[in-house]
Amino acid sequence: MSRMRRVLLRREAPTLLALVVVVLVFAVLDSMYLSPDNLIDIVEQATINGLLALGITFVIITGGIDLSVGSTMAIVIVVVGQLTTEGGLLPFPAVLAGVGLGLVMGAVNGGLVTRFGLQPFIATLATMSVFRGIAYIVTGGWPVLNVPESFRRFMDGDIFGVVPIAIVILLVAALLAHLVLTKTRTGVYIFAIGGNAEATRLSGVNVSKNKMIAYMLCGVGAALAGMVLLARLGTGEPTAGQGHELNAIAAAALGGTSLAGGKGSIVGTLLGAVLLSALRVGLVVQGVDAFWQFIATGAIIAFAAYFEIVRDRLNVRR
Amino acid sequence: MGDALRLQSISKSFGSTLALRDVDITVQAGTLHSLIGENGAGKSTLLNIVHGLYADYDGQVELFGVPVHFKTPFDAIRAGISKVHQEIQIVPELTVGHNIALGSEGEHTAHGLLNRTALYGKTDEILERLRCTFRSSAKASGLTVGQIQMVAIAKSLYRESKIISLDEPTASLSDRETQILFGVIQTLLESGMTIIYVSHRLDEVMALSDRISILRDGVVMGTWRRGELERSVMIEKMVGRELEAVFERRPAADGEHGSVALSVKGLSSESFDDIDFDVRKGEILGFAGLVGSGRTEVVETVFGVRHRAAGEIAVNGTPVSIKSPADAMEHGIALIPEDRKRAGFVQNLDNKMNMFLPLFRKRRSYLVRDKVIRANYSRYRQLLRINPDDPDYLTAELSGGNQQKVIVAKWLGTDADILILDEPTKGIDIGAKSEMYALIRSLARGGKAIVVVSSELPELLALSHRILVMHEGRKTVELINDDLDEQTVLHYAMGGLS
Repeated sequence: MSRMRRVLLRREAPTLLALVVVVLVFAVLDSMYLSPDNLIDIVEQATINGLLALGITFVIITGGIDLSVGSTMAIVIVVVGQLTTEGGLLPFPAVLAGVGLGLVMGAVNGGLVTRFGLQPFIATLATMSVFRGIAYIVTGGWPVLNVPESFRRFMDGDIFGVVPIAIVILLVAALLAHLVLTKTRTGVYIFAIGGNAEATRLSGVNVSKNKMIAYMLCGVGAALAGMVLLARLGTGEPTAGQGHELNAIAAAALGGTSLAGGKGSIVGTLLGAVLLSALRVGLVVQGVDAFWQFIATGAIIAFAAYFEIVRDRLNVRR
Repeated sequence: MGDALRLQSISKSFGSTLALRDVDITVQAGTLHSLIGENGAGKSTLLNIVHGLYADYDGQVELFGVPVHFKTPFDAIRAGISKVHQEIQIVPELTVGHNIALGSEGEHTAHGLLNRTALYGKTDEILERLRCTFRSSAKASGLTVGQIQMVAIAKSLYRESKIISLDEPTASLSDRETQILFGVIQTLLESGMTIIYVSHRLDEVMALSDRISILRDGVVMGTWRRGELERSVMIEKMVGRELEAVFERRPAADGEHGSVALSVKGLSSESFDDIDFDVRKGEILGFAGLVGSGRTEVVETVFGVRHRAAGEIAVNGTPVSIKSPADAMEHGIALIPEDRKRAGFVQNLDNKMNMFLPLFRKRRSYLVRDKVIRANYSRYRQLLRINPDDPDYLTAELSGGNQQKVIVAKWLGTDADILILDEPTKGIDIGAKSEMYALIRSLARGGKAIVVVSSELPELLALSHRILVMHEGRKTVELINDDLDEQTVLHYAMGGLS
């Protein structure tokens, strides 16, 4: 097999191709699109969705789904918001508290799926509603205002005034996620569970425990995304994160993660998140009506999915 | 009678691999024509062409004298040729009648509404012809494997097929269900049906076939009439070499066995009762019984897959508590399960990873070390000769016999002293089978305690030192395999008293 063919057959290939096409098209339409500021902007816009999508990739590879990530974000946003304002907590402990919250909510999802045997779609549909309700109750429906500057700089400032911290957080989280998925026992187990949970269990693997880990990591991703959003906006709305779960699933699916489980990669998910962001920024730069952005996003998801089918067919004929 | 199906110089390639080369086979109407050959010989490819799954091939297909070229499976069904799948698929939520008619309800539909009475009338009539005891209104989910197969045959009758192919139809059937199937086959032949039959079981091929075509490496080695072929010649043509006598009997007393490795007392669950047995080091204990007698359930309970209601399990004389496969592995037990696809290996992992999957837990390191995983693969390379011998190959893409080798390697890697093999040669060809037997024997000689569950009596008689016979969840007898014959074992398996 030639090197070119090998690259084309990689899982991430369709995403990368779509990204290149999108960037080229917008660059031709407006050369400013390729300016460093704009490119950084694209990645920065991808951070929140990217962090959510990283976590959800683990869950999807096990063959599950997590619809509650948007609501998890909201809880983290209002609680961390209150801790840093009324609670007067410093940024670092506040972030730790937020991550802890994400772990807890991930564990609730994981528990419903493994301990009570609920289908992941139903379990997280339920918690999507419950978590949202909790976020409203925490603040009585009001937003948390005036998040301190220190927290905002901690999660969404710039290093040396150039490198956005949110991008650093995304890349570090992605690197860790990638290492867990490809270089550790847990990663192998997560793929194996998605491929064939029964055969995995019969190999002496604690399937419940490893599914639980996936949901908890997903909760951490949502918590980080929530805190970046909180820092970016400076206010904590209990309505935040609505619809974000679908964007995150879209990024993972665009990146070649199979919703049937057993297949996927962090690199792909990252590319998927950047692709969605590149598309959105490009359309905004072109002054395209916001309504059309929905159509463009949907079209590109369908395109990538179709490309994947074609690629799999080529693979079979190898 | 004329020719039902005529294949002329059919060739088919996948990329650079030639799967079929100039295949000429003529199937006469109203006869049973068997296709035999090792896994990978091209039988499935040939069937897929005949049934319209592969539209892209060279050569000509004639159906009752008319040239045809099917583009889709539906084309083939409309032309009157249908397939009873190797792994039969039904929709469990639908009734038997709806399963039979699925996709062809047209004639019982008026103005978009389905006339269920008329449909069941027709499907019931077909079930009666097949001498089935269940009726169209029954839920498909309650059927046994044998009954599901009857539904699949009924489906082809409903579509008024003139030719049907049966691919390994007896692989999952009990002896009794097999006899019923053979009866139905006779009835179908008498009514003028043409049958293409694919099976690894040479005895039934010899008993049923009017003609036999042998395939090897995509080439037809020849076609013979009933009675023209001796079993040994048949094997030689299939494999291309003479095999050491596969079913050669090993006397029970081939040396003393070691101490008791696994001892089970009074084991009970919801599907079996009060099972006792011991296996010694170096000994092979066979589990015989009809399908549904509880053999698989017993070994799965020993391995911690199923819940144990009562009874004790001891390993090397020490009582152990086994609540999960992980517990069983901790005590040196390995189970090579009956259903390879469902329980044996993980479809999205390659050979080296599937082999390493049970080994991660024993390692202190949390990291995946490629070198270690490859070294583990190489450990059994000589012994097993997996084809293709490639650690990066997806196990799911191997033939059944090679998948089984990967699964055996996976469990040998755990250094288990007690190996339980449930239907170790199910659906694998005679060459791979003989290798598997040699392997099991050499493992026993090496001191492992081995339990073999099998529906094939010749297999149990060839391998076992002792045979435990089960009937309806109970142990009927334990026999020493010393000049045992199939009739004796079968007598106890049917519930006969000792």
